[in-house]
Amino acid sequence: MKKPVTIKNILIFAILTLTSAFFLIPLAWVLASSLRPAGSLYEYANPLTWKTFFPANITLENYRKIFVDLLFGRAILNSLFVSISTVFFGVLVSSMAGFALAKFRFRGRQLIFVIVLVTFMVPFESIVIPLYVLVRGIGLENSYAALILPGVGNGLGIFLFKQFFEEVPNELLEAARMDRASWFRIYAQILLPLCMPAIATVVVMTFMFQWNSLFWPLVATHSSRFEVVQVAVAANRMSEDTSWANLFSAAIAGSLPPVVVFLFLQKYFIQGISGTGLKT
Amino acid sequence: MFKSRGAAWLFVLPALILLLLFKVWPIGVSFFESVMQTSFSGRRSFVGFENYSYLFKHDPTFWNSVKVTFFYSILVNPLIIIVSLTMALLLNGGHAFTKFFRTVFFLPTAISFSVVAVIFAVVLDPYYGLANSFLKLLGLPGQPFFGSQDQALWCIIWLSVWRSAGYWMMYYLAGLQNIPKTIYEAAEIDGANGFQRLFKLTLPLLTRTTSFVLVSNTAFNFLMFAPVYIITRGGPRGSTNLLMYESYTSAFVNSDMGRASAITSILLVIILVFSFIELKITKAKFEY
Repeated sequence: MKKPVTIKNILIFAILTLTSAFFLIPLAWVLASSLRPAGSLYEYANPLTWKTFFPANITLENYRKIFVDLLFGRAILNSLFVSISTVFFGVLVSSMAGFALAKFRFRGRQLIFVIVLVTFMVPFESIVIPLYVLVRGIGLENSYAALILPGVGNGLGIFLFKQFFEEVPNELLEAARMDRASWFRIYAQILLPLCMPAIATVVVMTFMFQWNSLFWPLVATHSSRFEVVQVAVAANRMSEDTSWANLFSAAIAGSLPPVVVFLFLQKYFIQGISGTGLKT
Repeated sequence: MFKSRGAAWLFVLPALILLLLFKVWPIGVSFFESVMQTSFSGRRSFVGFENYSYLFKHDPTFWNSVKVTFFYSILVNPLIIIVSLTMALLLNGGHAFTKFFRTVFFLPTAISFSVVAVIFAVVLDPYYGLANSFLKLLGLPGQPFFGSQDQALWCIIWLSVWRSAGYWMMYYLAGLQNIPKTIYEAAEIDGANGFQRLFKLTLPLLTRTTSFVLVSNTAFNFLMFAPVYIITRGGPRGSTNLLMYESYTSAFVNSDMGRASAITSILLVIILVFSFIELKITKAKFEY
């Protein structure tokens, strides 16, 4: 949409630019610092010069160090594995449940819907301690399963899918039933392709949630085999001789996957939000 | 609606099992644990509401955490709403640069709270930090930030707004997209000015979005943990000791599961009460 250049638009542009400075300045500095030789982090922070944001001699040494010497790659792979598995099973399980709740009338449906609502009202962090006791009790402590399974059953995801599936006309499903399609085929080949925005929304939410979680991995695992990105970052900050250069390159590398996921899915993400019960 | 009961149960069963096992059961256990006490010998016994009454009557650390948590929530939630709503309104015009700014504003959300905490620990460093360099440039004195009892919580608020505003902006953008353009045209014909359109049309029509954002954001902020754990460890002098961190130290540092569960149960009740009040307020305001 092309709009004429007016004073109002210039003003809006100016405010937006200032706001983005608020968001971008710390990030630009972190990025610049991660590309500097280790040990010179604070050298350029005070006083401010152009060198604060543009490193004079760029080096990838910090990145080499975290990936080769500190095995940060392992943490990235762990986080990727955990997040992608949770996303895959989460979308599958939630969309199936959303389908059942949207399209079938059966005894217990109301009760299940109440459970779904309660579980998304009760935030994950508040049940971490009893969850830990449970996970330890069934022998899953310190495993990938401990990191993945609690995130798969997702009340908000089920709710979103239910809202989306309800919009699909029943006649479409009835026609498919006439053609002797199984319920599973109807679900997989008719409903799911119609609900890409809902899928994208649940993918973004689940991926971000898993990638960013610190509290649960901290509690549920305690060997470096299962160390995820956030725990690795937090552990580095805690150690006696924190190397800021390493930390900043880890921060940048560890933030790239969710940024990429979002950039690819942002259009669907907004559609997904507005296509559900959050309508005004 | 279809009536194939068998198929319905097959579709709903995996999710139901996972929810019952990993959500409903822990919620139940949480309340159960909070009425139990584990002695040093490892024997557990039922103590009724003793964990709670001890917290309420003899536990100044808990009360301090309650105070800090409420102070934090009451400030941070409206701030995030105002910032995210303003950004969405500014971006809603459909300008050529909208997409760029939208991505920039959302960027911090893609970064985890732990990484954000690490970044701001350095940016707000009292001696060498970037923030103080900017203050110096403006001729202002340097500030202690996380080192000061009076400023540390404000720094966490700042950090939360920086990290979360872009996320809720997305919900507002989606909400704004759903407002039909014809409503504005009609208002313009009736001679409504920009402010009237904003306060009489846009904001009331965004009520459902606001109520969702408010409720989710409140719950999220009551459970704030990472910045406290990574930067301040509750200090200086308890000024950032949010309830979630207090519960964590109680459970995993002092091994007092009963007290920890009582704290999270109380937190849960607080969140539910707040959600209920917020839903009531936002519902009552507008009907159309």
